[in-house]
Amino acid sequence: MEENAYKEQSMHEALPKKTLWEAVRDFFKKDLVQYIVKRILMFIPTLLLISVLVFFVIQLPPGDYVSAHIAALATEGEYVDADYAAQLRADYGLDLPLHEQYFKWIKDIIWTPTDSTYYRLYGSHHNWKYSFAYGRDVWDVVDDRLGLTILVTAIIMIFQYAVSLPIAVYASTHQYSVGDYISSVIGFLGAAIPNFILAIVLMYLSYKWTGNANVGLFSQEMLQNGVHLYNFGEFLKRMIIPILVIGTSGTCGIIRSVRAQMLDEVGRQYTLTARAKGVPERTIVMKYCFRAAINPTVSGLGGVLSSLFSGSTVTAMVLNMQIQGPVLLKALQAQDMYLAGAIVMVQAVLVVIGVLFSDIALAFLDPRIRYSGGGR
Amino acid sequence: MKKRLFALLLAGAMTVSLAACGGSGDEQSSAPTDSSESTEQSSEEESSSEESTPPEEATGYSESPTLTELVNAGSLPALEERIPTESDVFMDTMDAGGNTLEIGTYGGVINLTGAGGSWGLSRPVLEGIIRFNADGTYYPNVIKSFEHNEDYTVWTFKLREGMKWSDGEDFNADDITFWYYMCHLNNYDTKKSWAALKETVDGEDAWAKLEKVDDYTVTWTFVNPKFPADFIESGDFKWCWAPEHYLSDMIPDTEEFPYVENPYYQSTGLDDEAVLKNAQAKGIDAATVKDLGKAIAYYWWNEDGIPCLNSYVLTTKEGNNSRDAQLCILERNPYFWKVDAKGQQLPYCEEIHFNTTSEDGQDQLMFRSGELDIIEVPMEDIASLLADLGDAAQLRELASTNWGSYLVTFNYTCTDKNYAELFANPKFRQAVSISVDREQVSGLLSENFLEPGQCAPQEGNFGYDEEWINKWTEYDVEGAKKLLEECGLVMGSDGFYDFADGSDFVLTLLTYVDSGAATAFPVLEQYYNAAGIKCATKDIEVSAFDTQIDNNDWQAILGPHTAIGGVSMKSRVQPFVPIAQAAEWYGEYGTYYGTGGQQGVKPEGDMAKLVELYEKWNSTPDSEERDKYNLEIYNLHKENLWTIAYLKSAGAYSMISSKIHNYPDLLVSDDLYQYQNIVHYWTLFKAE
Repeated sequence: MEENAYKEQSMHEALPKKTLWEAVRDFFKKDLVQYIVKRILMFIPTLLLISVLVFFVIQLPPGDYVSAHIAALATEGEYVDADYAAQLRADYGLDLPLHEQYFKWIKDIIWTPTDSTYYRLYGSHHNWKYSFAYGRDVWDVVDDRLGLTILVTAIIMIFQYAVSLPIAVYASTHQYSVGDYISSVIGFLGAAIPNFILAIVLMYLSYKWTGNANVGLFSQEMLQNGVHLYNFGEFLKRMIIPILVIGTSGTCGIIRSVRAQMLDEVGRQYTLTARAKGVPERTIVMKYCFRAAINPTVSGLGGVLSSLFSGSTVTAMVLNMQIQGPVLLKALQAQDMYLAGAIVMVQAVLVVIGVLFSDIALAFLDPRIRYSGGGR
Repeated sequence: MKKRLFALLLAGAMTVSLAACGGSGDEQSSAPTDSSESTEQSSEEESSSEESTPPEEATGYSESPTLTELVNAGSLPALEERIPTESDVFMDTMDAGGNTLEIGTYGGVINLTGAGGSWGLSRPVLEGIIRFNADGTYYPNVIKSFEHNEDYTVWTFKLREGMKWSDGEDFNADDITFWYYMCHLNNYDTKKSWAALKETVDGEDAWAKLEKVDDYTVTWTFVNPKFPADFIESGDFKWCWAPEHYLSDMIPDTEEFPYVENPYYQSTGLDDEAVLKNAQAKGIDAATVKDLGKAIAYYWWNEDGIPCLNSYVLTTKEGNNSRDAQLCILERNPYFWKVDAKGQQLPYCEEIHFNTTSEDGQDQLMFRSGELDIIEVPMEDIASLLADLGDAAQLRELASTNWGSYLVTFNYTCTDKNYAELFANPKFRQAVSISVDREQVSGLLSENFLEPGQCAPQEGNFGYDEEWINKWTEYDVEGAKKLLEECGLVMGSDGFYDFADGSDFVLTLLTYVDSGAATAFPVLEQYYNAAGIKCATKDIEVSAFDTQIDNNDWQAILGPHTAIGGVSMKSRVQPFVPIAQAAEWYGEYGTYYGTGGQQGVKPEGDMAKLVELYEKWNSTPDSEERDKYNLEIYNLHKENLWTIAYLKSAGAYSMISSKIHNYPDLLVSDDLYQYQNIVHYWTLFKAE
């Protein structure tokens, strides 16, 4: 034991010791900083391009908000004449050519001048326009559900990683053991069953067993008084189904990929060398193999920010969770282009930022990754 | 089930016949439920014919214990100060079906599903000028009485003394003049088009003159006679008031909404920005001043804080004060002006909760677990819910006034001449009708729930005619083929008919998503093919669907968006007569009349006759004569069958918790009655 400890120490001593400052300085070497600056500059054309796509794709279906709105009114038994429809289009600027609508939209988002009515009323230089379907400022609608969406998605993600990473490490270090098989079977099942079916089945079972289907995240009482310490238990109880449904499918993916990567790393020569030198198994697995094995997972984190923002749409619909996803769906159905456009744009921005973060995280995890020179 | 439906339809239909008798006098009959005001409600000449069966005399009034607590705490005035004077209080003793109401107990919450569209929150609670019973009779509701002079040029509304807005301010004649001159005539509510207050003078549009006689009396004066059907009975004319004390700083005087000269209110002088700013200060967000006007003067029930006269009022509590919220709450109006037979102030329940769900079926799960008290159910789920829940749930039906289900209509103004000529030929429509085996369709599409039938007023409705509802319903493929050949179609080598000029004949049926029509197409397709009719379908979003109709870019429709039907022409004229760009079955003919001949296609033949008869109908006060014209119009429909139906119409079915009391069965669902509004939610109470 002592011998082993000695060997490990000597191996570590072979590496030059760095202070924290030096480590950070080394990490943000000039090439990386340049890379980040370059990437941030690239945001501008990327986002402009995305905004064009978003705006025009949303407008692709025939009709516009006014026609969708009038059709909805007719369903309620109210008739609207063509003149009124034309006036509405003029008021909302929907009668302008598409490119003019686009430029007006993007211009107001970037900068709404101080002498505009919008600025005087809302005190903001960024006019995301108005949600027709909700009858409110777009940002108000988005903001309404942002907190809940982030909370729910964060809880689910923490669950995913907290469950999947240990299982993956266990499965890879105990390959072909009973535990490995069990995790594989659960993993495949989780990945194979569509979320919405699992959701329906779980709601049904919940209704059968407890008499309550737990539709939605909140009880009526919570919807009136908010979630507090005294009813937090009830809230967590209602989180079980969403966590199981959304969490398991993601969990399975992570388990499979990390397990495969780990098996790869465990068989590498450096692992063999470390083992031969007597480095404890735990250190080999956690410090070296695991660090390398989560590379693909980390590079997949680019989408995390965006999904934190929007949540899982289909499952949210099935479970009646009032998070951002269903708002986007409603906006698209009602052809409420400013709301849909805003949500999709924010998602795009978050993906772009998320990818940058994951690239930086990758570099931190794997010193071999650098962002300039021949490799790039 | 069929028996229930029949009974209901019968009740519903007696309606219209009674309603149609309204004309000169019956429209003023008082609520059979409201004896305390019977003399006030009727015009002088009719007062003798009033029913006078007073309910038990109420001895004083009482209120919900929660309100008593507020009164005791000093945060609410005493009950007597909150409701109208004794002679003007509305005593509600019967439901819309004529059944005596149970005396309820206070407390509890009524849980409903999400409010849905712009009208959702108003349906259970809206209080209109008059109120219809399920048999089509009606009585003054918010107003105490209405009467007209001999030649129908002056209508007088009397209000209830002591009546309050939901915030405790007096409701009086000023709120009516304010609505008319400051919200309606400047088109701020976007509804200046309401026929009830409009007439034609010297070929130009003109509007009624409204005068305040005293605090509780106003008169509407017209140049020409304004008959009841066009005024007090008009489905659009639901209210004529707005809370002056709350809205006055949100009324613009701009180019778009200019001040209308009137002796009661000065111009506010406010520009768009000032109006929006004032609205924002009250928590009302709007993109444009036009949107604001519509929000505060038309869809006012959707904005919290705006005082109203309804039984329940949108809460101001953040998070629950929007119809889009997952839980939207309407609270009891402590100033509500109706009491039960015992003098207890209504409504009985504390709140109405609208629980938004995102998918079909979630409401049924929540109903099963007791989280919802009333849900609408599709007919295919009724049996399983009743079987599973036993005594805990009950079924309630609202009969439909639609003229059938699985309707097919054709574009008679189709731009393709071949098709237009073919559709215009009644033999073609007959062929399309008899080529389908309705018995089998009933089994396949409705599990035999809906009986076979033609597009016609349903049993119990005004104009019901057994011959009509069975016309062209006999299944006969060979007969259909013969008729198609008589129409000039020629059987092609592929076994399908072609036009005589050799061009392909394909019947393209347009449907819109979620109308349920798309599922019916494969069933009908088999029958059409067997009769040699080649067909196709296009299922699109409802807005795209409407756009195609507006652009006259269609041939035929399965399940029209605006189908023919309604209580009678009293409810709405557009479904029956081509006078607007409204219903699909008359295509561009309606546009012609609607635009004064500037657009559309000039109606000819029987289509033109419909308009002629409508004009006669419109210009007579005599109810019998009106019925005669209405029936003549129906006869033209019977002759022509411009729209084909395969099954009788489906009603609206609700499942209610057995804890809910006073929810009547066998009523009628129609726009004129505001659909669910006929249930009278303020009289519902919960008890084990």
